Amino acid sequence: MPAGPAARDSRPPGPYVGWISMDAFFNQAFAGLSMASILLMVALGLAIIYGAMGVINLAHGEFVMLGAYSAWLLQTYFGFSILVSLPVVFLMVALIGLAVERGVVRWLYHRPLDTILATWGIGIVLQQLVRMGVGTDSRYVARPTILDGNVVLGGVVMSNYRIFVVVFSIAVLAATWYLLTRTEYGTRLRAVIQNKEISECYGIRSERVYAMTFAYGAGLAGIAGALVTPLVSVTPTMGTYLVVDAFLVVILGGVGSLMGTAVAAGLVGEATALFSFLLNDTLGRVAVLCAIILLIRFMPQGLFPDRVRR
Amino acid sequence: MLEASALFSYYGKSPIIQDVDFRVEAGSFTSILGRNGVGKTTLLRTIMGLTDAITGALRFEGADLARMPTHRRGRLGIGYIPQGREIIPRFTVRENIVMGTYARADGKRSIPEFIFELFPILRDFLGRRGGDLSGGQQQQLAIARALAMGPRVLLLDEPTEGIQPNIVRQIEDVILKLNREMGITVILVEQNVGFARRASDQFILLDKGRIALTGTGEKLTNEVADEYLTF
Ligand SMILES: Nc1ncnc2c1ncn2[C@@H]1O[C@H](COP(=O)(O)OP(=O)(O)OP(=O)(O)O)[C@@H](O)[C@H]1O
Ligand SMILES: [Mg+2]
Repeated sequence: MPAGPAARDSRPPGPYVGWISMDAFFNQAFAGLSMASILLMVALGLAIIYGAMGVINLAHGEFVMLGAYSAWLLQTYFGFSILVSLPVVFLMVALIGLAVERGVVRWLYHRPLDTILATWGIGIVLQQLVRMGVGTDSRYVARPTILDGNVVLGGVVMSNYRIFVVVFSIAVLAATWYLLTRTEYGTRLRAVIQNKEISECYGIRSERVYAMTFAYGAGLAGIAGALVTPLVSVTPTMGTYLVVDAFLVVILGGVGSLMGTAVAAGLVGEATALFSFLLNDTLGRVAVLCAIILLIRFMPQGLFPDRVRR
Repeated sequence: MLEASALFSYYGKSPIIQDVDFRVEAGSFTSILGRNGVGKTTLLRTIMGLTDAITGALRFEGADLARMPTHRRGRLGIGYIPQGREIIPRFTVRENIVMGTYARADGKRSIPEFIFELFPILRDFLGRRGGDLSGGQQQQLAIARALAMGPRVLLLDEPTEGIQPNIVRQIEDVILKLNREMGITVILVEQNVGFARRASDQFILLDKGRIALTGTGEKLTNEVADEYLTF
């Protein structure tokens, strides 16, 4: 249905469905896809840490934030582009994750409530350390110059950087799948998840597997934080917002399925973007939350429940 | 080879194994018998380091097991086949067997061929999930997993419990063959007195966590069985 002649001047050109500009709609959908990709990397780490050790890591948002600050640090003081920084950031945040696991979390594996409190506390400490060390001002990281520019499809403008983020997150998903299902580390991890005692009887050091897994999850959060820096400003509290959505993704996707996490990240990212576009930011988030609560009401195990007999 | 003296083993604060002494020679066949709940499983779990605490001495070929973490005990060549089999349900048959090789000292990850000669069915089912096998097949898989590590000693906990009678005989034959032909030391928890008598060099009768009687296989008479094993 074409828009009325009076409205035509103030609205974007291109086709319309009702009062919705299709170009604006698809632009928003693409922005949603790139945020979904960031969300996927954050949620993957959360889901793996929860799936392996049953730890609800409330410091995960701070791992994202530390990844972002690491990228900022490497760019500001060493002139590294994000692309160069990514592996360094992964290692830096993975090491911080390792220290958190060895120092605190490993003593609390048998006490789930205490891990929640402890990781929450660690998150606050990390935020405060950053505030004291770097200050509370927003920091900005430039996107890599080779990813300047856009791909234009009709009325839809897709920045090369966002396309890169989407592709990269799919690569991270594939690498994680490979790591978990096709490598010996992954087999050891899956063995420990299913039967820790028997795994140890067959020479697997579950302690070490847990430590590596926690570090890997933290590293993924770090990468997500580094990748998001050209899209949002870097602040000590930036992780909180992302990690709430990531928790929704994990709940929606169900634990123990990479596919579930991926689909749920896509749904949450897109739903947030499109509801915000159709309503407004605040109402959009409320709508997403209600939709998830409804879904979980009818599918308590998430979208991809684990249907294997034991 | 395996020696315990004044061994106590605890779950929480309760001593489940109390003041146990035994000695298992290399290449021998030892049966552990006793009524339900006397601590047979707990004794094997104690050897693997799966109870909460122990006191007393426990040595394997000179090594002090008492303070050794479970994963290192596996690497010494102690293959544990637990009650209820505890194969990994979401692993394929192949993954379950390969898991046994993680305890190998030489780092090899290939499945020894003789395992498929003992259990041909496992070769056909390599790609199936462990959780989808029947009880008897899972028991064969649990033994195969232990064999993949190249064990010096096998700890078997009621391997024929809840298994179809036609497979029971086959599993008993395999256990005998592993001991007699391959020279693997066997420690077997068993309810079937007939098989224990026939197979064992030595039996250990447990009662309420303590050793009630030990002796050579022939001494496991029907009178003994009536006294200690019937309810
Ligand atoms: N994980 C545990 N925590 C606390 N107590 C336990 C645990 N496992 C077993 N027990 C107790 O230890 C005692 C011995 O149990 P165990 O399983 O060793 O007996 P069993 O001789 O193997 O019996 P069955 O013939 O039924 O297999 C029992 O009284 C049991 O209640
Ligand atoms: Mg038992």
